[in-house]
Amino acid sequence: MTTDEATKSEGEVQALALTERGEDITPAQDRGVLKIIKRPGSEDESPMIGDKVYVHYKGKLANGKKFDSSRDRNEPFVFSLGKGQVIKAWDIGVATMKKGEICYLLCKPDYAYGSAGSAPKIPSNATLFFEVELLDFKGEDLFEDGGIIRRIKRKGEGYSNPNEGATVEIHLEGFCGGSRFDCKDVKFIVGEGEDHDIPIGIDKALEKMQRGEHCILYLSPRYGFGEAGKPKYGIQANAELVYEVTLKSFEKAKESWEMDTKEKLEQAAVVKEKGTMYFKEGKYLQAVIQYGKIVSWLEMEYGLSEKESKASDSFLLAAFLNLAMCYLKLREYAKAVECCDKALGLDQDNEKGLYRRGEARLLMNEFELAKCDFQKVLEVNPQNKAAKSQISVCQKKTKEHNDRDRRIYANMFTKFAERDAKEAASKSRVGRAAEKAACEKGLKTPGAE
Amino acid sequence: MAVDELQAIIQRCQILEEADFKGEDFNLFLVAGQKCLEDGYAAQLLEVIQNEKNKVIIKNMGWNLISPLVRCIFMYKQEDDKREHCLRILDQLAQICNPKELFLGLLEQIEQTSGDQVCQTVMLLLQPLQTVLLKLQNKKAYSVGLSLAMIMNQLTSLPVPYTKQQIQEDKLGLCQCCNAVVDFAKPFVNEVVKNMEKSEYDDMELKEELLKFCMKSLKYPLLAAQLEQLEGIEEHPFRHFATEIIDILWNIRELMPLVVLHHKGKSPCWENQEFADIERKNSADSLACLSYLMFVQHFGIECFPVVFSPAYLLLCNMTHIEVLLKRYSLWDLQDLFESSLLRMEDNSLLHDYLEFRDFINVPQDLVKIMTLCPMEHLRKKSLSILQLFIDKFDTEGKYTLFRCLLKTSNHAGVEGYIIKNIKDQIHLSLTKEYDNMWFTGHHLISLLDLVLSLPEGAETDLLQNSDRIMASLNLLRYLVIKDCESDNQTGVWTTLTKIEQNFLKPLRVGLNMSKAHYEAEIKNKKENRKEAHSSNTVCSVTVSGEKMPAMTTGMQLQVLHSALFTFDLIESVLARVEELIEVKIKAVMDENS
Repeated sequence: MTTDEATKSEGEVQALALTERGEDITPAQDRGVLKIIKRPGSEDESPMIGDKVYVHYKGKLANGKKFDSSRDRNEPFVFSLGKGQVIKAWDIGVATMKKGEICYLLCKPDYAYGSAGSAPKIPSNATLFFEVELLDFKGEDLFEDGGIIRRIKRKGEGYSNPNEGATVEIHLEGFCGGSRFDCKDVKFIVGEGEDHDIPIGIDKALEKMQRGEHCILYLSPRYGFGEAGKPKYGIQANAELVYEVTLKSFEKAKESWEMDTKEKLEQAAVVKEKGTMYFKEGKYLQAVIQYGKIVSWLEMEYGLSEKESKASDSFLLAAFLNLAMCYLKLREYAKAVECCDKALGLDQDNEKGLYRRGEARLLMNEFELAKCDFQKVLEVNPQNKAAKSQISVCQKKTKEHNDRDRRIYANMFTKFAERDAKEAASKSRVGRAAEKAACEKGLKTPGAE
Repeated sequence: MAVDELQAIIQRCQILEEADFKGEDFNLFLVAGQKCLEDGYAAQLLEVIQNEKNKVIIKNMGWNLISPLVRCIFMYKQEDDKREHCLRILDQLAQICNPKELFLGLLEQIEQTSGDQVCQTVMLLLQPLQTVLLKLQNKKAYSVGLSLAMIMNQLTSLPVPYTKQQIQEDKLGLCQCCNAVVDFAKPFVNEVVKNMEKSEYDDMELKEELLKFCMKSLKYPLLAAQLEQLEGIEEHPFRHFATEIIDILWNIRELMPLVVLHHKGKSPCWENQEFADIERKNSADSLACLSYLMFVQHFGIECFPVVFSPAYLLLCNMTHIEVLLKRYSLWDLQDLFESSLLRMEDNSLLHDYLEFRDFINVPQDLVKIMTLCPMEHLRKKSLSILQLFIDKFDTEGKYTLFRCLLKTSNHAGVEGYIIKNIKDQIHLSLTKEYDNMWFTGHHLISLLDLVLSLPEGAETDLLQNSDRIMASLNLLRYLVIKDCESDNQTGVWTTLTKIEQNFLKPLRVGLNMSKAHYEAEIKNKKENRKEAHSSNTVCSVTVSGEKMPAMTTGMQLQVLHSALFTFDLIESVLARVEELIEVKIKAVMDENS
């Protein structure tokens, strides 16, 4: 090593090496991102687009000044690959890495923060140097609930996705326990896949796919055929499914703001019908989608004529009431209550609204509130027998609940007393007297939860 | 005498075993101790407490004295010796007493205080409370959480000083108190940090309590506080407080997830967002404040990763911006919006971002502020931010945004403004060589259909819509001048018949009708037959909720004349446009013949 090189900072040497020997990894081959592998990966697998990737990195400016390091923060940096979450150089660079690999990246401003820079650390038109280690990656959890995991095999074009109500043309293959049960080309409306024996998870996932995308979807039973299974394909209850889907093309449904009031009202009638059809078949998730459309179109619409406003209110009322019913069936009681509240906002004496809210609250163990609702139902319609019997259910439950509480607490207090007695064998009785005194002063003691 | 009584009870108890203290003894001790304090024998009481022989008694009974003690401390003046004695008693009690009972005693004092005394009491008791909490064996996390929650709840009732003078004066002591509370929390933060360093870390509880405290502090007082640097105040108390809160979040490793990661799972469709968990809704204000602190005021930005793309950060902030626009907490939030946008280069935001609800909702909210907000400077600021927002999008994004705003704004002034923007974009695509697909040819034609039309044909209220109509006419004039029929880059010449049918013709008819109507009205007024017609044309006017006095005939005439003037203006531009079209068509025909 010459003395000249020795005096140079490590960063400068690396940057120099990159400029001389770095591989141009930009698709445009404009030398915007240059890469050198410092340590090859341990496995041959690279992350796929959309994967959640875990990296450690260090970033320096051209003058060698460190501006950022995940190691200083003591935790790996996590992001979704290929989604524009990070600067372009990273989306390109990390995608080329293998698990365990460490590499250097030299990034031109166009692939980093450009002329705007990033206050306060990155000046305008800065070339950035990174050392990146790819620690791990895993498939994208589409709804953060582990229900649908996606791994993209081939990235789609552009960025736009089919929305709910879009017409899609897809090719799909469905697998369960390693054997293929479905393989077809099909055209349908997102949210109505059920009409073609396609589970709701595919509808949901399609809303996150792009034209031409080819991916594998791992569906939990909740997003698959659920408890009912699918006898037609010989699929048992609560089965995990794997689908391979290619989105060939799609045509978006109009966004709410693109539709005028007349169109919204016409469409509302159509989707209401559709929702009711799903509801009757017991496809509540699908029904929720249809009724939800009415809400999204009409809830915030303003500047309606009197006639339109009347029609709109009646659609909304029906939508909220039906949504409440669906959520009751889906055992999402809080949502059911929310929908009833909105229905009652439109018509405060609505019998169904009051009754369903009562039902939901009863199931949430809010007996007193439930009772109030059923009583209001009777005020509106004294003939409602169901409400009458529900009131007595409420009363019975309240009593049961109180009794149970009493038993539990009674037990608890005896238990506490026994335990305290043991503990306090050596301690003073006075201590407890003091605690009791504090309790009487109206303070919650930490011990009395 | 009080001291003698105290001595008596003390002596009686000294010979007893700890377990033999009776309820009666507690009462006697309390009464005697309280009397000592009230009669001014604090020094003697201190001696009793410091006496090693009495340690067991004080340990069990001392907590009783907290309430009278606090009362006394507030009674004495700052420099009084007795006050000093009382403070030392408090200190001693914190050292000696059973932590469990003393904790409750202290908390009770904080709970009972109100009004002007809140900060004083809190600051007085923070030190002993901390000492006691550090000694607690069980339920420590719960107790720390309870203390912090109680303190913050008490503080929340106080007004946040806003002006420089108010901050310097700090009349109720809030500024000082907030920073004292942070110091109070520090040992517990350190404990969490230490625990996290150990590999097996299972005590999430304390961490959660601290997180709750930080979230609360962000909402109050920080969201309401003035956080700009103030000249002449070296250590701005709220800036200091903000730094400390962010430090805590950073130290317990919650900062990053709050600012960025919470967004990751969010889908762009609103159904999911609407039913997103309530917790998130509740914390929306706090999170927005946090974003403001980091991205506008640059607190804690030094530990923020510098690899995120600006568009993604804008996306993260958009949720907060929307929340805060809706709450009309405009000033800071517009700053947040502005600073997020300034990180982007013009024309760099992909139109796909408009598929995120927030991106399409925020401009619509801005329009609402522009048209409905009573405060002029906010209306102006909204407008400037809307323009900034428009500028950042790529051409397709601008195109979509224009379409959306034209359809949703319901306000002729805004529509006129958008149309002017459309004209600028067409100008750019005609003069510059870049991606001009969206503002020429068939895309433009479909946009022009929207622009060059009258919402209700000839019956449209021309006066109400004059801004929009003038802008449309100007755009059309620009098009026919700039784009030769032979080039027809914009496609305007192909669609001329349609424009004539949907726009120019009804406009002409409308103008004639309106002018005739207003002229007749003026004639009527002049002939002093106002009663019969006034109700038709002049309605009552309310300005900021107050009804304006009825207009005099003179004023009414003035209004009518200015309306006529507007019509004349429209008519003259319309005539010019028609003339231009005619000339150009004729020129082409001449060439061809």
